[in-house]
Amino acid sequence: MIDSELDPYVEWIAREARRPVVTDQAARDRIMASVRAEPLPQRRPRLWERVLEPRAFRLSPAGSALIAAGLVGIGVLAGGFVHNRDGGLPVGLSPIAVVPQTQLPVSDTVVKFVFVAPQAGKVSVVGDFNGWDSTKTPLVRAPNGAVWTVELPLSAGRHLYSFVVDGSWSADPSAPLAPDDGFGHANSVKLVRRGSAL
Amino acid sequence: MTCVSRGASRRPSLSLLWGAVALVLSGALPAVAQDPDPLSKLDPSSKFAVELLIDSANTLGLPSDYLRSTALQGIALKVDGKRIVVECRKKFNLLKTAHAILGSVGGEELKAGASVLYAGAKPNQLAPFKARQQNRNDLEAFTIWADLITRGVPSEEASSAITKLWQDGADDATFYGLWNNVQSDILKGLNPGAAFQNRIRETPGRPTANKVTPPEGQENQSSR
Repeated sequence: MIDSELDPYVEWIAREARRPVVTDQAARDRIMASVRAEPLPQRRPRLWERVLEPRAFRLSPAGSALIAAGLVGIGVLAGGFVHNRDGGLPVGLSPIAVVPQTQLPVSDTVVKFVFVAPQAGKVSVVGDFNGWDSTKTPLVRAPNGAVWTVELPLSAGRHLYSFVVDGSWSADPSAPLAPDDGFGHANSVKLVRRGSAL
Repeated sequence: MTCVSRGASRRPSLSLLWGAVALVLSGALPAVAQDPDPLSKLDPSSKFAVELLIDSANTLGLPSDYLRSTALQGIALKVDGKRIVVECRKKFNLLKTAHAILGSVGGEELKAGASVLYAGAKPNQLAPFKARQQNRNDLEAFTIWADLITRGVPSEEASSAITKLWQDGADDATFYGLWNNVQSDILKGLNPGAAFQNRIRETPGRPTANKVTPPEGQENQSSR
């Protein structure tokens, strides 16, 4: 115990300080309401605080639908980018992707397709190299009028094809036949080795 | 769209966000609408079935382009989707069979092997082609084999003769020469079996007589 604590004035002050303060509840509520009404101290938020700060949004149904459609679009694009069923390049994002997926990426040999049809008005070749699309590879009639030809770069391997003569499919009489494709038609086979074609 | 936030100064950044979403939308929706996949011409259930087969083939390491090509050909010929699925499934199973017999060969050879099976050869007839010399493939042999069966040469005769030629080391030119002669004779009107018997005897590395029975009346023709 120190001397100061024995001082009657100190004791009196200490006693007064320890005495419970009785206040009016309504007054306390008023005070706290005033404190709560005061604005918080303003501090410029950091970037990460701004990014992480929760926000509440109100969206109209149309807006929600628009965002959902956008997310679906992103998903489709991303899906096309990371996944291609044939292991080829993604569709829609690269200039190369506009090439049909069935077109072979590497051409090893230029193969000449020849078909004799003096009476034909239009001849084209369809095959696994052009997606069996009769509009993609038309043959050109030679000056003598009977022979139709086209030269096409093909990758090494085995290719199935047919000629389309005025709308009718016809196998190449100068090439081996593949078995009936199951659709009532036998295709021809072209074997292409690197640098040469059979 | 309204954003409720504490500070009015944050509005511009949210506007930028919505602008970005709109930009993505304007780019993504036309891309979806175009859908350049030719398989989309199939009805949805057939397309799904074909894609499932293609995925299965990819998973098994089989050449899925064979199935895709079949589907596209069917689409080009305006064949019913269900029939296309049946054909794709049939070819998928043939690829699996060819793979099981031939082992780890290239995709082109698997397709050619499946084609031989499709033509009518039995799976066990492919087995001798599993053993091979380095850098030798059986594309020509399989192609000519399938062609001969397709043209009407009896399957057993074509199979045993082609197998023997292959085992004797016949080269691509030999197979091609055989095919050229046989189809030429068939075009002249000769019976496919007889045409084949005539020409197989002229072929270097020809099979022994007990493997292929010549047609009646042609037993004494000279070889080569």
